[in-house]
Amino acid sequence: MLSRIGNSLFWMGRYIERAEHIARYTKVQYVSSLDAPLAQSKDFVLESILSMAGVYYKYFGLYPQLNEEDVINFVTLEETNPFSILSYISGIRENARGTRDCISLELWEAINQCYHRVNSYSAARLQSEGVFRIAKLVEESTSVIKGYIDNTLIRNEVWMLISLGIHLERAIQVSLILLTKIRDIDKIDKEKLGGPVENYQWTTMLKSAESFDMFKRYYAANPNRRNTLEFLIFNPAFPKSISFNLNYIHKSIRDIAFHEKKEAGSINFMAGKMANSFKYMTIEDTEGGLTEFLNKTLKDLYDLANVLEEKYLNF
Amino acid sequence: MEASTLAAVPNGVFSDYELNPKFLDEVFDNHGNINYHYEKVLAQFAQYLPENFKELNEHAKLSFFNQGVTFAVYSDKAKGVERIFPFDLFPRIIPAEEWAQLEKGILQRNLALNQFIFDIYHKKQILKDGIVPAELIFTSKHYLKAMMDVNPVGGIYNHISGTDLIKHSDGQYYVLEDNVRTPSGISYVLSNRETMKRTLFSLFRKFNIQAVQDYPQQLLATMQSVAPEGVDMPTCAVLTPGMYNSAYFEHAFLALNMGLPLVEGRDLYVEKNFVYMKTIYGPKRVDVLYRRIDDDYLDPLSFNPDSVLGIPGIMGAYREGNISLLNAPGTGASDDKAVYSYVPAMIKYYLGEEPILNNVHTYRCEIESDYKYVMENMEKLVIKPVDESGGYGILVGCKATKEQISEFKQIITANRRKYIAQPTMALSTHATFIDDDNHFEPRHIDLRTYSLLGKDRQFVLKGGLSRVALVKGSLVVNSSQGGGSKDTWVLDDNPTSHQNGSFQSQSQSQGGQSQSQSQGGLSQSQTQGG
Repeated sequence: MLSRIGNSLFWMGRYIERAEHIARYTKVQYVSSLDAPLAQSKDFVLESILSMAGVYYKYFGLYPQLNEEDVINFVTLEETNPFSILSYISGIRENARGTRDCISLELWEAINQCYHRVNSYSAARLQSEGVFRIAKLVEESTSVIKGYIDNTLIRNEVWMLISLGIHLERAIQVSLILLTKIRDIDKIDKEKLGGPVENYQWTTMLKSAESFDMFKRYYAANPNRRNTLEFLIFNPAFPKSISFNLNYIHKSIRDIAFHEKKEAGSINFMAGKMANSFKYMTIEDTEGGLTEFLNKTLKDLYDLANVLEEKYLNF
Repeated sequence: MEASTLAAVPNGVFSDYELNPKFLDEVFDNHGNINYHYEKVLAQFAQYLPENFKELNEHAKLSFFNQGVTFAVYSDKAKGVERIFPFDLFPRIIPAEEWAQLEKGILQRNLALNQFIFDIYHKKQILKDGIVPAELIFTSKHYLKAMMDVNPVGGIYNHISGTDLIKHSDGQYYVLEDNVRTPSGISYVLSNRETMKRTLFSLFRKFNIQAVQDYPQQLLATMQSVAPEGVDMPTCAVLTPGMYNSAYFEHAFLALNMGLPLVEGRDLYVEKNFVYMKTIYGPKRVDVLYRRIDDDYLDPLSFNPDSVLGIPGIMGAYREGNISLLNAPGTGASDDKAVYSYVPAMIKYYLGEEPILNNVHTYRCEIESDYKYVMENMEKLVIKPVDESGGYGILVGCKATKEQISEFKQIITANRRKYIAQPTMALSTHATFIDDDNHFEPRHIDLRTYSLLGKDRQFVLKGGLSRVALVKGSLVVNSSQGGGSKDTWVLDDNPTSHQNGSFQSQSQSQGGQSQSQSQGGLSQSQTQGG
């Protein structure tokens, strides 16, 4: 496979996952703030959305103050914002266009359709229908796209690189969600911790990662700091947890069988080291340094992606 | 009851159809009688109300849109607007015996052109014999010195040719252009057919239509046939300028349908006169390249030094015989519109045959008497630059204003080698659905054909792209100038030999099928009955 094509496939996967997570996070934060306990301030939610999407400073460089419509539009449909959902979906399509000759027609049509739907979504419609509709549209379209990826492609390098992109990005997005929500929780008054306000934040965290229902099945308990973090970071069987995705990344890299020795600095080594260190850790090991731990995880993931791109996907 | 004349077609979609006796209409004769090979189509269309037809039309458009058969409209970039290449649901039909002649003529012409290209890059015998003026070739900007004495595999230069034909008011086909550089449009032929089958499936059952779907396999076989000497399992690829090229859809379409990688210049590099592509597992040698990049941009070391699309050193690899390129560089020296006028002479010279297809009489402005005639008869002529394609820079004399004509006279006088003139050809018309008015009107059409030459193999696609000038009265069919297209059906209806044969084999296979089917049906009905 051409390195350029590999690069496009990898990024197609990453953009799919990224668009989906930002859409869901925006929706969950916004919708759950509508009936939040103790009338959580709107600004709090809008700031959280901006920082999760990574456009907090970019937004304030363009707009004087927080405004609900501006924030939602900026994160979802703003075409001049390279980090908006629309931009990511354009990215998915551009990458798919460049790799038309190795993906299925069904996959291409699903991506093309998703692009046209989001691209023709007007700001006026966003205003009248609210964030819920557009987020649902993006979540459903990306699910359909991922369905075609899994059900129409041969399990060769094409599929493996898209999957690698998806799962690497998912590990990154879940880490970002955790970091953002922990920052949100840290902003809450100390005396209110432990009560419904904190409980509400853990629920939102789980919903943002599409994990609330499975969490309840697994623990049969209300979410708290310990079980929520354990579930989203270390559960080896749950497809949204960081640990699950690290294992997946390691397996994908082994399957692609890049021509390299298994030595320190090889991507096989890097991915294996990360995945295995998560296997032998518990939530207690992160106590007192959770933010540092998550930041380190993010850095390792970005490093892995950089080495992968420089060594094999460069053209 | 089937209508046999224009007036008898019910329901109004043909009510405003005006036949112009100056042109030949493909569907009706001058008295409004329906040509026999169109009767079944009109019988079917007569069943539709205008609303039905509109709906079918929308359906077809959506099919193109979802397939991504679109081109970007560059001027309106803000919202990423994309349009489909306009498509008409009324198929252009060519009877079998008519096609048989065309096919022979197209092949004859392209074989002669191939010999001509070989000749001008080797002994130049035709120039020495004074059949074609030498200065005509040496002044062509497409004549490449780098191709001198190069021997492409199988002696093939114009592997892929897109000969353009028109039907004149005298009922004869004429060749309008020989496109032997990188003719495009084949993806539309295949997509048009696919859309037609989705939209008007019932019509297909009433005809025996030649398939076009095997073109990609034929192209792949052509590529493989010209693999460099000693390469048994050649690695083939399609070279595209990139996804912002207006024909990118076609490049990707062909690569996908041939199962080949679609590469860009930046994916390839040359080392020790071999061409490699960069893959995730390291370099891989490339043996055959179907390139959709113009000669100028192919190799910055040999041609345009500013090209970022090309592969530095690929011409060296080519001259060494380590890679085959389709089409060969330098073929453009033969499809120059001034050289066009000598193709009938080439056919006689190389093949010793009479040309099967007609040439349009061509005045070459560099010849004094021709130049004089052109200057005095501008309004009767179509003036074309010899080395442009896509319908750019053309003046249709009868449509031009006085200012345009005097302006063009100056342009021609300034560069006489660059211009030729031809009498205005009366392109035939064909019933075409006009979206805005919800009915059929005659529009001018031409026919782009596709033929392949490989080492010891030849192929002419039984079909082609019927291009339609959608603007009323316009004679310019190019897509870049507001043209659309139609599916083109070549009939397989030779009553003596072919149909009998296929009928027999059909009835045989039906016998076999119906046995197993009736068994299945029996056991099914038994279960249901029980």
